[in-house]
Amino acid sequence: MEKKEKVSVKICVGTACFVQGGADLLLYQDFLDPVVLAGCDIQGVSCIGGCKDDAMQVRPPYVEIAGQVFGEMTQEKLCKLLQEAIHA
Amino acid sequence: MNDVFIDVDYAQIYKHGQKIGGDVFLLSRQDASAQIVCTLSDGLGSGVKANVLASLTARMAHKLSFSPMDLTHSAKIIMNTLPVCKERKISYATFTIADLRRSNEDEVLVNLVEYDNPSALMFQGSIPIQWERDKIDLRRDGAFKQEVLGHSQFKLSIGSRLLIFSDGVTQAGMGKSLPLGWRLEGVRSFAQKVIERDPDISSHDLAREVVSRAHTLDRLTAKDDITCMVVYVRKPRRTLVVTGPPFKQEQDSLLVDKIQSFEGKRIVSGGTTAQIVSRIMNRQLKVDMSCWSPQVPPCSKMEGLELVTEGMLTLSKVATALEQKRPAYTLPNDAVKKFIQIMQESDQVHFIVGTKINEAHQDPSIPVEIGIRRTLIGRLQRALEDNYLKETSLEYI
Ligand code: FES
Repeated sequence: MEKKEKVSVKICVGTACFVQGGADLLLYQDFLDPVVLAGCDIQGVSCIGGCKDDAMQVRPPYVEIAGQVFGEMTQEKLCKLLQEAIHA
Repeated sequence: MNDVFIDVDYAQIYKHGQKIGGDVFLLSRQDASAQIVCTLSDGLGSGVKANVLASLTARMAHKLSFSPMDLTHSAKIIMNTLPVCKERKISYATFTIADLRRSNEDEVLVNLVEYDNPSALMFQGSIPIQWERDKIDLRRDGAFKQEVLGHSQFKLSIGSRLLIFSDGVTQAGMGKSLPLGWRLEGVRSFAQKVIERDPDISSHDLAREVVSRAHTLDRLTAKDDITCMVVYVRKPRRTLVVTGPPFKQEQDSLLVDKIQSFEGKRIVSGGTTAQIVSRIMNRQLKVDMSCWSPQVPPCSKMEGLELVTEGMLTLSKVATALEQKRPAYTLPNDAVKKFIQIMQESDQVHFIVGTKINEAHQDPSIPVEIGIRRTLIGRLQRALEDNYLKETSLEYI
């Protein structure tokens, strides 16, 4: 079977994101399904810029999944999005 | 900033079974550490009575050495003031006063007054140095014995040490492991070996080694209070803390130059600042997901920097912990703990504060606790100076 490439996930750990819920996302080891964890390459990044972008429609915390930035991230939302992402 | 740092510390073990010491150590600094006076006094007997005698002596000796009064005169005043012991009908406390002043060169001028304590020891590197003392006979009315003060003046250059201790150290082991006790020679050769083994040993550690060795010689039941104080003159250990992007973008590379040319440890606090540094130095910035706590965002790693942290949250937590003097080991394993550990290992901390306003923090939904950068740095400086006796300096960019 051909090995699937891991989904790149970047969790913003900048100040604005961290205080508005980003801290909860860093517990990803605990709340994500092991299958999802295995399928993703999760990293922290300092400020991905969303908080300074006036054109941004959604609020922090931001997470970038496979190049696309999502805002107002919660643990549940991240679970759902990553499930979809690894099966895409 | 100064190129000389005077590291003074002491260690002490009370006489077996005592909860209070008859040996008293005092230290005070003036004019941003340009003058340091330390006093070690040993009161007659042990326990509370000895402590009262020694505290009085140390405190007076201390105050008087900051005054222009002549030494002999101050020594007489001290001895005339001490209360008389009811049983022994004498008043007595020994003392050693070291008055250390930083001269303009890389040297420290020492004024040493010794009264009946074991002689102080001096080392240049690990080599013991002998020196002459002037003997001053006090000839005080009503003295119960001849009172001779030893006075000497000399310079300590970088790498030298001065060891001052009570007779609990030189008499350690007497009648137990060593018939005549450890004696001055014993202490000297022990200290020499310790310094040879660890040439950069801090005053705190060296004093501890001497005291615990004396304690062992006493078979762990000290016959007298054991106190040792060490003065170590060395080059200061420096740390640079950079926080906030420069006011103008053109200054970014200037900031990086400053970081690169700094001699010592380097800390960058602030995501945006770290990104600038990473871009200009062309080095990768990697977030360390193992090092964070619910209040403090993760730290990052970059080659050439000791520590990279988030800005405001981390700094405000660091300031609070320093203000409350929280020991590093009680903190969770996060950026704040690492930051504080580095601060404690430094003598001088230089701050470079970028003055660009961070758009993100204008967001009203962010807690008010995140004050302005300047206020935060002010708190850090005050806490470092007042609680930890560090030297700090500040520049804006
Ligand atoms: S702090 Fe997360 S986007 Fe700026």
